[in-house]
Amino acid sequence: MAEHSATNRIGRQTNLLLSARARLIRRILGLIGHTILILITSASALAVFFIFIYIGKDALPFFGIHVEYLWDGAADMLGGALGLLRGDVTGFRESLGEFAEAIGRFRDGLSFTYTRGRLTEFFTGIDWYPSREPGEFGAASIFVGSAMVTLGAIIFAVPVGVSAAVCLSDVLPFKLRQYTKPIIEVLAAIPSVAYGFFAAVVFGPQLLRRGGTLLEIPVWALGVPLTVIISVVLGDLLTSKVDLNKRRVAKTLVTILALCMFGAGLWWLGSAIRGLQFNSGQNALNASIILGIMALPTVVSVSEDALQAVGRDLRAGSYALGSTRAETMMRVVLPAASSGICAAVILGVMRAIGETMVVWMASGNALQPRADWFNFTLPVRTLTASIAADMGEADQVIGSQRYHVLFAMALALLSFCFVCNLISEWAVHRTRKKLAGE
Amino acid sequence: MIKMRWFVTGLMAAVMMLGGMSARAAETQIRMDGSTTVGPIAKALAEYYMDQNEGVSIVVGESGSGNGVRSLINKSAEIANMSRFMRASEFKACVEQEILPVAHVVALDGLAIIVHSSNPVSDLTLEQVRKIYKGEITNWNEVGGPDRRIVRVSRDTNSGTYETFSEVVMQKERIAAGTQYVNSNGQARDTVVNTPAAIAFVGLGFTERVKALKINGVEASNETVVSGDYPIARALYMFTDGYPELGSHVHRLLTLHLTQTGQRIIEAIGFVPVTRY
Amino acid sequence: MQLETRKLLDRAFSGLSVISVLLMAGALIIILGPMMIRGLDAFFFRGTTDWRIMMMQEFARGDIDAVEAERAAIWEVRRPVFEAIEKFEAEIEEGNVGREPGVPRALARIEAQAQYGRPLRDLKQHVRELLGPFPSDTPVMPRSKYGATRWDLALVHFQNVMYVEKYTHTDPTQMGALSYEPRSEQFVGTPVEEIFPYIEENLRAMMNPKFTFYPQFLTDSSRDANIFGGIWPEILGTTYLAIGAMVFAVPIGVIAAIYLVEYAGDNRFVRLLRSCVSTLAGVPSIVFGLFGLAFFINGIGVSTGRSVLAGSLTLALLVLPVIIRASEEAIRAVPKSYKEAALSLGASKWRTVLTVLLPAALPGILTGIIISLGRAAGETAPIIFTAAWALAPTLRPSQVLTEGTRALPWNIYNIATEHERVEFMRHIQFGMVFTLVTLVLSLNAIALFLRARISKRLRG
Repeated sequence: MAEHSATNRIGRQTNLLLSARARLIRRILGLIGHTILILITSASALAVFFIFIYIGKDALPFFGIHVEYLWDGAADMLGGALGLLRGDVTGFRESLGEFAEAIGRFRDGLSFTYTRGRLTEFFTGIDWYPSREPGEFGAASIFVGSAMVTLGAIIFAVPVGVSAAVCLSDVLPFKLRQYTKPIIEVLAAIPSVAYGFFAAVVFGPQLLRRGGTLLEIPVWALGVPLTVIISVVLGDLLTSKVDLNKRRVAKTLVTILALCMFGAGLWWLGSAIRGLQFNSGQNALNASIILGIMALPTVVSVSEDALQAVGRDLRAGSYALGSTRAETMMRVVLPAASSGICAAVILGVMRAIGETMVVWMASGNALQPRADWFNFTLPVRTLTASIAADMGEADQVIGSQRYHVLFAMALALLSFCFVCNLISEWAVHRTRKKLAGE
Repeated sequence: MIKMRWFVTGLMAAVMMLGGMSARAAETQIRMDGSTTVGPIAKALAEYYMDQNEGVSIVVGESGSGNGVRSLINKSAEIANMSRFMRASEFKACVEQEILPVAHVVALDGLAIIVHSSNPVSDLTLEQVRKIYKGEITNWNEVGGPDRRIVRVSRDTNSGTYETFSEVVMQKERIAAGTQYVNSNGQARDTVVNTPAAIAFVGLGFTERVKALKINGVEASNETVVSGDYPIARALYMFTDGYPELGSHVHRLLTLHLTQTGQRIIEAIGFVPVTRY
Repeated sequence: MQLETRKLLDRAFSGLSVISVLLMAGALIIILGPMMIRGLDAFFFRGTTDWRIMMMQEFARGDIDAVEAERAAIWEVRRPVFEAIEKFEAEIEEGNVGREPGVPRALARIEAQAQYGRPLRDLKQHVRELLGPFPSDTPVMPRSKYGATRWDLALVHFQNVMYVEKYTHTDPTQMGALSYEPRSEQFVGTPVEEIFPYIEENLRAMMNPKFTFYPQFLTDSSRDANIFGGIWPEILGTTYLAIGAMVFAVPIGVIAAIYLVEYAGDNRFVRLLRSCVSTLAGVPSIVFGLFGLAFFINGIGVSTGRSVLAGSLTLALLVLPVIIRASEEAIRAVPKSYKEAALSLGASKWRTVLTVLLPAALPGILTGIIISLGRAAGETAPIIFTAAWALAPTLRPSQVLTEGTRALPWNIYNIATEHERVEFMRHIQFGMVFTLVTLVLSLNAIALFLRARISKRLRG
């Protein structure tokens, strides 16, 4: 009995050495498993592929490129080929004819001048009347609108975001840093419709009622310390060649002079901003500010990563040479992390330009004539909001131009984001390489 | 961790069960999709109808008239709400799919031209309104008002309100660039309330706290819309595939607006009923 | 530069960077503050008698005898207002108002109507908003069955009853000047004049505001286009959509992460896959919406029209990169020794992954899942064309494959911009935003808590 169980145990152990067959099965199973894994992992690649295909399929007809004819032709061809396998030669011939016909139709639709005309109209035209018969689809103002709110958001988000990242990575002690992380996470987590609601219902009316005063506060809050600092620095720089005895007097003099000059400038700026009149609370400025806040978390976290990646050695070297923290950051760390920060800016741009709900609710959706472009006090219309708002009204059944133009806009957005993504990836890659190489 | 997993599973199950319990047993479902302008009417009629009839569930989508037609053709909606009549191309597409669109006029809607209450102008002709929106008249003093630049407010181009306006008032001419587009009647009204020099067009039910102008000397009111004196008015439609079977829920829902109750509902949400008893 | 200037610059630099962090915190408070504070309006407020009647009639909630008694008491106070107005109306109709002896009744009626017709109609409308329907009314819609249900709304309507916004246009070339005029001036010398001081004196007695806590806002269905009731259908719809998105995204995302970390080498194909993941993360949400419409509904037809299924699939694509990245990180963070120990015990690679790596990485993966759950719950643009109805009954779980639903984000947009009574429903809108934000933030808090525990465990 005991012997028997012993052999059993040994038998199980010998299983460690597999027979050739078992090994083969294992191998096949492994291969199958591996393939399944690859397939599932490719789901995201497939999704990207299909997004491009399906957006493009409905976007290209706007430019007179009817891919669906090719599609039909290919299907005919395939059907014919399958028939041929079954020995149906005449059917195959017919399908050849159909294929040629489909190609012909495709070529008929594809007229170069038409495509070029459409492209020019789309990108440079300013007449956007999609509901007229025939519709006019000059989307330049819409592109400009998107560019405007994105630019505004970036102007706000990048300085604040990068300096916040500096603060998080170098200025704050570790203990405090942990408490600031949740701020960024909460900012990133708030749903966009909540931001949009805030912009439209809370912020918009305030901007309309006391816009100038509201905007004046940050100008003064930032302007006064900046003026003082710049004046002092100027006072120092301009008097660096003056004799040591007179230096103190000269410095004070220059500083006061600069203070007066910049102060006057600031005063003028402040009163100009106070005098701003808004006709509507829903305008480019409103959308820009809110989008800027939404883009902040992205900018902060990506640029903080970049700053962290620079490492202790560079910093220590700089400090050892007697630099202050500011000098270390500005002259050593930030330049070293520049491509990472570039990536942060690009990701921020992507976040801002792709946002829908905030601009739909807060930007006012007005098409601006060329004279009013880049006037932030006016309402603007953006790509995302146009897609969201017009989609319901476009003829989805017969696929009218009005339907296709929205897909063309989506394609433009998609391509832009794709390119941005490539650039930012390359930038991150480069930082890593550069820092590793040094 | 195992505890956590059970907790999450339990939470999901609880949510599902709650959902199951609170749902009514629905036997008939009616789906209405389309215009945002007709949306409030559809919602109000639907809620009243569901309240009166156990076992009927009605869903309403507000995504635009064009979407309504698509849903009708896809058979993903029984009723398409439209604030304009079906276009020829859409009609053709319907017939090709063997859908025979039948229009039911459920309410009338006048478009009031509104200005800020402080604006002394109280009477414009249709021609003047057109010129204002074309950008030929840019200052209120050209129509006998104060020296203020006119702020034009329009509904978004995807709204039926916009299409009616561009058809009746603009006669298909372009609205000038620089016009501000807003998403809803309420928003248009709010913009005018907050902007002394603004002009906008909204549904008749949205003239509270603003001044509705007389057009060609005719005041905008339910009576003048019904009588046809007020020039900027339109019908609001619901389309079905063929005339609904008599006595079916769809039929009863679509004839609700003809009853006295239906008229009250339509009046309560700010539209003009088709019939008056 | 002198040393002191450099020091000053250094301080300024640090100060500036701290300020920007503070600015971020400030922005957060400014944005969250009003939404949270005014959001509580939906739950805590002073409900009037009309509120309790509405609750009784629409939701069968409350003590019926008490509500009836209160209603009767209130009615006694309100009745004089209704009666005065209706009596005056009847008098106009009979031609008794302002009739001088000898003037025919018909003429007097026309004159009185010309003078009082419009003001009276306005007055009646505002009184209805405040006190509910007149005895002669036969209201159909819930909104016209009740007066002001909340004390804050009652005060607004009270203001409208008492005062008229009046613009005087003395000079046609100038904008008119605004003044508030007592409405009673329109009815000088008539019996209606007396109701204004009466209303002013008895407003509290008429409305009987009591502090009300309404937690059922979360679990009630809505009445009359969200004017009354709660937001349960929206919450449920959002839950379906978010969980549905997870059902599709989690298996794919976790398996993809396992592959990328454990199996994939560093070849061109894998780099392409990684790059696709980040591209997917950068696709604008509205493009996902269009894609969902063009692919899932019009293309492969997962459902004939909008459905939770189509919406979930679209949202799943949106959160897939988030899950892949979080899971990748979590699996990478598992100490190498775990894996090596398992392998050295003779476990196969797959077994190692299933029994050692995944359990160890589970908290991290769960963190990613929870965060993306919040993301999916809050997204609006992808579901506009794929899943969202403006009005739909509460959905049963069995219907999710074919039916669309209401959802919090879309309905916030819808009732904040397109509703005909936008400004009288701010409390509902803020309540919805409050609920959505709280939902998402508490999911994030859970994730944060989990992460803190992991880092504690990893530190030992």
